Amino acid sequence: MNAIAREPWREPPIGLLAELTHRCPLACPYCSNPLELTARERELSTEVWLRVLDEAAALGVLQLHLSGGEPTLRTDLEAIVARARALELYSNLITAGVGVSERRLEALAKAGLDHVQLSVQDVDPEGCDRIGGFKGSFARKVAFARAVRALGLPLTLNAVVHRHNLDRLERFVELALELEADRLEVAHVQYYGWALANRAALMPTRAQLDRSVEIVKAARERYGDRLLIDFVVPDYYATHPKPCASGWGRAVILVAPDGRVLPCHAAPTIPGLDFPSVKDRPLAWIWQESPAFQRFRGFEWMQEPCRSCPRREIDSGGCRCQAMQLLGDPEATDPACSLSPHHARIRALAEAEAASAPPPFRYRRLEEPAAAPA
Amino acid sequence: MSLAPEDRLVLARGVRVRFDPVRNCHVLLAPERVLFPCPTSVEILGRLAEPRPFAELVAGLAAEFDAPEEEIRADLEGLLADLVAQHVVLVERRAP
Repeated sequence: MNAIAREPWREPPIGLLAELTHRCPLACPYCSNPLELTARERELSTEVWLRVLDEAAALGVLQLHLSGGEPTLRTDLEAIVARARALELYSNLITAGVGVSERRLEALAKAGLDHVQLSVQDVDPEGCDRIGGFKGSFARKVAFARAVRALGLPLTLNAVVHRHNLDRLERFVELALELEADRLEVAHVQYYGWALANRAALMPTRAQLDRSVEIVKAARERYGDRLLIDFVVPDYYATHPKPCASGWGRAVILVAPDGRVLPCHAAPTIPGLDFPSVKDRPLAWIWQESPAFQRFRGFEWMQEPCRSCPRREIDSGGCRCQAMQLLGDPEATDPACSLSPHHARIRALAEAEAASAPPPFRYRRLEEPAAAPA
Repeated sequence: MSLAPEDRLVLARGVRVRFDPVRNCHVLLAPERVLFPCPTSVEILGRLAEPRPFAELVAGLAAEFDAPEEEIRADLEGLLADLVAQHVVLVERRAP
């Protein structure tokens, strides 16, 4: 590793992903949270979150993504949204929408919430309940979406897609239109955290992926003037790796429920990195100078074929966490890249998993009894 | 994209434009997106908080910059086509 002190990083982050809590009424098997969830007692206080927002705005953050777990389980969410508005941060609520009353939503809108992103696990009650592990979730989500629109807030439907719901993708598009969503995010599962543990249960076939590409293309042509569709493809079948989080420590800064600051959800899976906490260090120092954030910036850390690759500026060699998870080496070329010597093996793994009968879900649950919902 | 004089233009829901003192430029904030609009776009977007007919937008800018309407209209059509394609500006058309 490079022992020479590096220049502080001067480019500001664009988005702050505030994971307010790991508590969640749903138990989706592809949750991006770590397997080891943070219990309620270890969550940051309101006071610390408000300070984090102040520091983030001063650092140049423009958008605040309020996430979790389920962020509405924090009773101080209105105060957090109000502070974001006062700082002119664009606030985005990422929610499952199952336990949020109209009155609560109205209070959040009044506090200055800018946008709501609602997850929908499937397009019918049975599938939605089964994937989210929550009975009666679908009707609640539909009611929540209507309440969002009634308040005039912009709405995105977030559809995480995988082998169990991909055959109903067209219906997801129809649902987005029916609920008057402004945006539909069709996101193939990315295999980290719980999703990695459930990979064989979720991996789509190549044919399912191809079909989803066609459906999104047709939907964009047909409804493009009313509905903006964002599409995230799965990288096990890719030719080039994804520019994960726009590059390590480049655009996104994530604060976990316990205060640890990360470049992405999965970063703690890389051994040997010490992620500082907002409780101990200023956010600006963590972003600009902390060794963990500096670790994979620039190109010096790269191996071949990345180091001399003309695409290194585009994708930074892909995802460091995926290289770690699949190859045990965080400096290796992401095996999602066709130029990786391990690409064929990873792809064969995906094909084999997709071709086998899916194992049962390992649902995402917070095990500590102290954190069970009241 | 061609715009009729009576076509009404408006900022899409959830779009905000503000000055960012850290980057020393205007930024456009939208759901899951941040754009850095050029000064002309900032001028246009600032006039579209409420729906406004294309003709009125052209006339206003022509008066402000003391330029012929024809010239302004030609410039605007290209810029607005981009903003519409990016779902930043919506066009409200009267039903034919």
